[in-house]
Amino acid sequence: MGSRQITEKSLAMLRSLPRISLANLRDNPGSRKNNKRGRGQYGGDKHGAGNKGSNQRQNYMRLGYETGNNPFYLRMPHESYYKGHHHRREYPPISLLQLQKLIDTDRVDIDKPIDIASIVKSGLYHFFPDQKHFGVNLTDEGADIFAAKINIEVQWASEQVIAAIEKNGGVITTAYYDPHSLLLLKNPKKFFETGQAIPRRMIPPPDAIEYYTSAEMRGYLADPEKISEDRLRLAQKYGYELPVLENDSNYSMLCERKDPRQIFYGLEPGWVVNLKDKCILKPKDEELLRFYAS
Amino acid sequence: MATVWRSQYAFARFFVGKTVRILNNASDLGARLKPESISIPLSRKYSNYAASPFVSKIQEQYEFEIVKNPPEWGYVERFLPLETVPQIKPKESYPSGWIAPKEEAKNLPYYIARNKNHQIPIYLEIGYRGQRKITKIKRIEGDIWLMNDLIKKYLKNKCNRYVETRVHEMGKFIDVKGDYVNILIDWAHAQGF
Repeated sequence: MGSRQITEKSLAMLRSLPRISLANLRDNPGSRKNNKRGRGQYGGDKHGAGNKGSNQRQNYMRLGYETGNNPFYLRMPHESYYKGHHHRREYPPISLLQLQKLIDTDRVDIDKPIDIASIVKSGLYHFFPDQKHFGVNLTDEGADIFAAKINIEVQWASEQVIAAIEKNGGVITTAYYDPHSLLLLKNPKKFFETGQAIPRRMIPPPDAIEYYTSAEMRGYLADPEKISEDRLRLAQKYGYELPVLENDSNYSMLCERKDPRQIFYGLEPGWVVNLKDKCILKPKDEELLRFYAS
Repeated sequence: MATVWRSQYAFARFFVGKTVRILNNASDLGARLKPESISIPLSRKYSNYAASPFVSKIQEQYEFEIVKNPPEWGYVERFLPLETVPQIKPKESYPSGWIAPKEEAKNLPYYIARNKNHQIPIYLEIGYRGQRKITKIKRIEGDIWLMNDLIKKYLKNKCNRYVETRVHEMGKFIDVKGDYVNILIDWAHAQGF
């Protein structure tokens, strides 16, 4: 077929063409541009700037200015539906289908509690806390096929998602992290290498407190009694039998939660992790203990 | 003219008796100044630095307990990044629809290798502002021309239309004109790739 002839042809061409040497090496035509501008009677014309007006003087009008007309961008009245959108918190979505795929391909370990650190660790979730990303929004796509029993902590979830996870005997919590804690969770190794003490997690801002204290949303600041009541209510609403957590073999894992002031699972604020010597520095100073106590 | 308070100790005054530790932004390395550590002379020559006071008696660090081989080290290891993409352990079912490659597919005269994320390398390339859609099958080993003929025949039967393809033998890929990604992925799964 074609490609065999091409090989033969190009080899034949190579044989007949002269060798490249310093004597015949030159730039591609048009690759070099003369940066000089001609001067004088014949060389110095308009230099591409045209004749008369703002083009010649190169004092261009400001963007949108229509030489005295009511400009187009002011002609219509403005309705600011999205006012302040660039200041709002963003929660980049990950669907239950994607999460199931991560679990199937062994990117996240379901034998341990899942939080944003383990989702980011999978390498398949794009997350930039410096761009006002405040964590994971778990969406309900693939809620029907989702079949894993997990203990997951996300930052935003809908009712369907909560039902899909609790139906399989799992546990879901919504928790707030301030941007600084999220930066640490995004790349914990980088943070440990700096040798700084693990900070405290900040409490949610006023407009997020309602969400994170509500039992319906499984907020981390909600009353556990109310959450277990609401688990039953949701099971009745969606028509599934709620698996009993206490009878589960993984009960201790499913019950694992972070302290509201804690950023990393198992590591307390104030500790310094030394990766090189494999040791942890725990503060003894009373002043520090008082500071880091939640 | 506003009066400017020109004192060398303008900053030190704020630090006296306070914890000088700016958490996670510690420019002073966790040092603490105590009231007696700074002496303020009554008169001072501003023409040279010879009489500048020395800061002394700084408690260098807070007290920390250093725990070697701590029981919490397992938690720390959890946060360390994966060094490679993990190999997928065999499971009885994959609810997400992922399908493991089959052994018998290696006996075929052609082969599509999985990519590093264990997915079939069939992609949709959209160009010219959505005008042109091309399905790209990558990482093809073996007889690419035979596979090209089979794909053309399969798509013709499946979609009832002639489908244009482009074979790149050196690049080990086939471009199929049009969006046939899901059909071709199903075909590849059926072949066992």
